[in-house]
Amino acid sequence: MDLYDTRGVLDVIEECFSGEEEADEEITITRNKLQEKVEEMENFAGHLEEIFLTVEENFGRQEQHLEQHYNDVLQTLSQRYDDRAARLVEEKKVKMEALYGQLLGCGQTMDSSKELIEAAQEVYRSQDKRLFLQAVMPTIKRIEEFAKEEMDLTLCTPLEFHTAEDDLSDVKTMMDSINIVPAPSAPVINPQMANSATQTSLRVRWNLFSDDTVEFYELYYKPVLEDAPVDHTHGADVSKLKVKETHCTVTDLLPNAQYELWVTATNTTGISPASEKALYMTVPSPPAVKRRECSSCPEAALIRWDSGNNNPVDSYTVEITETDTRGVQCGGAESIVAVPTCQCLIQLQQERRYMITVRAVNIGGPSERSNPLAVSTTGTLFHLLEDSAHPCLSLSEDGFTMFYGDEELPLSALAFDDDTFARCVAVLGDLLPVRGRHYWEVEVDDDTEFRIGVAYKDTNRNAYLGATNTSWCMRHILTPTRHKYEFLHDGWSPDLRITVNPVRIGVALDYDGGTLSFYNVELEQHLYTFHCHFQSYVHPCFALDNPGALTVHNGMETPGYTLL
Amino acid sequence: MALTQVSSNKCAGGYQKVFEHDSSELQCKMKFAVYIPPKAESDKCPVFYWLSGLTCTEQNFITKAGAQQAAADHGIIIVAPDTSPRGCGIEGEEESWDFGTGAGFYVDATQGPWSANYRMYSYVTDELPKLINANFPADPDRMSISGHSMGGHGALVCTLRNPGKYKTVSAFAPICNPIQCPWGQKAFSGYLGTDKSTWEAYDATVLAASYDGPQLDILIDQGGDDQFLSSSQLLPDHLIAACSAKKIPIVFRRQPGYDHSYFFIYSFMGDHIKHHAKYLNA
Repeated sequence: MDLYDTRGVLDVIEECFSGEEEADEEITITRNKLQEKVEEMENFAGHLEEIFLTVEENFGRQEQHLEQHYNDVLQTLSQRYDDRAARLVEEKKVKMEALYGQLLGCGQTMDSSKELIEAAQEVYRSQDKRLFLQAVMPTIKRIEEFAKEEMDLTLCTPLEFHTAEDDLSDVKTMMDSINIVPAPSAPVINPQMANSATQTSLRVRWNLFSDDTVEFYELYYKPVLEDAPVDHTHGADVSKLKVKETHCTVTDLLPNAQYELWVTATNTTGISPASEKALYMTVPSPPAVKRRECSSCPEAALIRWDSGNNNPVDSYTVEITETDTRGVQCGGAESIVAVPTCQCLIQLQQERRYMITVRAVNIGGPSERSNPLAVSTTGTLFHLLEDSAHPCLSLSEDGFTMFYGDEELPLSALAFDDDTFARCVAVLGDLLPVRGRHYWEVEVDDDTEFRIGVAYKDTNRNAYLGATNTSWCMRHILTPTRHKYEFLHDGWSPDLRITVNPVRIGVALDYDGGTLSFYNVELEQHLYTFHCHFQSYVHPCFALDNPGALTVHNGMETPGYTLL
Repeated sequence: MALTQVSSNKCAGGYQKVFEHDSSELQCKMKFAVYIPPKAESDKCPVFYWLSGLTCTEQNFITKAGAQQAAADHGIIIVAPDTSPRGCGIEGEEESWDFGTGAGFYVDATQGPWSANYRMYSYVTDELPKLINANFPADPDRMSISGHSMGGHGALVCTLRNPGKYKTVSAFAPICNPIQCPWGQKAFSGYLGTDKSTWEAYDATVLAASYDGPQLDILIDQGGDDQFLSSSQLLPDHLIAACSAKKIPIVFRRQPGYDHSYFFIYSFMGDHIKHHAKYLNA
């Protein structure tokens, strides 16, 4: 076999193989189709079987019903027959008694006649004329008297029996009603099932009594408004749906709202009474995570959100999913349920990434997920508390750069409230309340006078940062001759000289170690450490002592050199 | 380069030892103290060289500074040499406390009769490290240096003259600008001669102005009530000015109420060991 032949054979084999493969594929497809068909048929058969059973059951019930009905009719007729027979017997008895009385009367009259005739014959046969004459006159008188009496020889009872026509209308009704179905009784509406509601729809179920025949149902519903007018006649907000099934999905509803629902059943005979009224609730709208108010650190995250609903919900569920760097889920998911307020502090693992969403929950179930929040636990992330900012301090779009402008603000613009720094042009950061290590960096200009550090939340808003025992800060002062740095707490600073002006300052807070350290990030140079066992949680604080800007960088990993 | 153990005391889990050897640089017997931390039993450890001040021997630091516990915690070997050659029989050696014995100033003397023995600069930067690396579980690539007063001057000079040799440097009340102060002028004119240009090679402030090497991070503590500060022997402001101009990072801490003694050193030794550990163990 030469090479060409070999190649030819191989081609054929290959073709065979490819043909076989195609056939295989086709067979697989056909088999799958057949399997689907078989499955469908099986389902259909199952369905038929069910119908068969139902028909049989219904038929049996119908038969029983019919038998019962006819028994009723027969019983009624038999009763009627008995009644009538009894009445006839009674009538017969009365007639017989009357006839008997008349017969007796006749007999007596005949006896009297006979006696009179015998007396007259005796008189007639009398030989004694005197006696005859003596007796004839009274006898003639008696006969005359007797003859005067008229005999009633008519029958004292009518020949006809009195047979009143029977009223069989009820039997007729009964006979008629055999073929009429009764009007259904009131359906029973089910209480709301779990996960049967959405933001705008409700899936409602009810039951009928098994003997009832129903052609269709009418489902009525209306929102239960807390501030609804007392006037109940105002029924315009009741809506109605006509359905054949014993369930129905009501749509186009308001979110997080309670609805009152009831059902009637109707057949050819009539409408049932209404069911009891059931209360169902649509699920709430999804909450909206407030990114600017969320903070995180390597051990935890504090999430805040807007309810997304005007009326209160029962609780919130926070869902936490671990993700990889591309945001794809890679770890397990867990949920924190029954969160009562619009914020939640979540314990997390260090050096991970998470996707966090929130759902609002009411009795109807959970809402859709909120917008997701990506959280990285490599560092500490916080936002600035704008409410605490001195009126002269403005924040950038992203909220991380603060500016102290040159221009004088009119007095009217200097609106101070209790939380606003009134003297020091300062702002607090919203560091989350977790004891542990936190690290952030601040970018400054060489010629900006600033104070950066930490302060208790209630630090005196009329004092400069570092001037009281409720704040700790690094202060940069420009003197005519040099840059001066102070590390201020309670108005006192150590005497410290720094030869290279830091333009990026690392701030490391360690609650457990009781330290607050400052670093020149570019040089990895340790500048100063405050030693203090912070009694309560502190917040990062930033202030500008002359016009300029300052940028906070956070969310980055804590550099190793700060951990010594 | 045979070493003779003079003493050994268990300390903070490790050992505080003193050795004696014949120094080739100094042509005399020299003692040095070495603290071996527990970690050295299993690993090579970085070495922290401590240069003491005027009048001191290897004993002052190991008995007064209280550095051993911190060194044990960070796994650092501490080497503390003597401050000058001893017993060389040079005329005038013992005459004053700030020149000769106990006052080597960490220079290599060029002037007779000191030039044969008073080579403390070469001793601490070359001979001693070789000796340590050869005889102890030391990592030759990780060394740093610190000192007090004259030793602070030595530590700064060794670092500035050998860019990259020491991972970091710190000092307690160092003589920052010896060519401008009485101590330095006396010593340098004795050891180096009258040509002041040769002095500059041993002046931290001058060296800083021309430093060209890896980024430094210098920690300096200075007692606020130090009599030698007020008598202008230390002149830290000169060094700070030079380093500010040259952007050499220094954190200079003036500690109020502290004097020039080892009580002052003891108080801030922990901070300095930590500062060195940051770079030695990085």
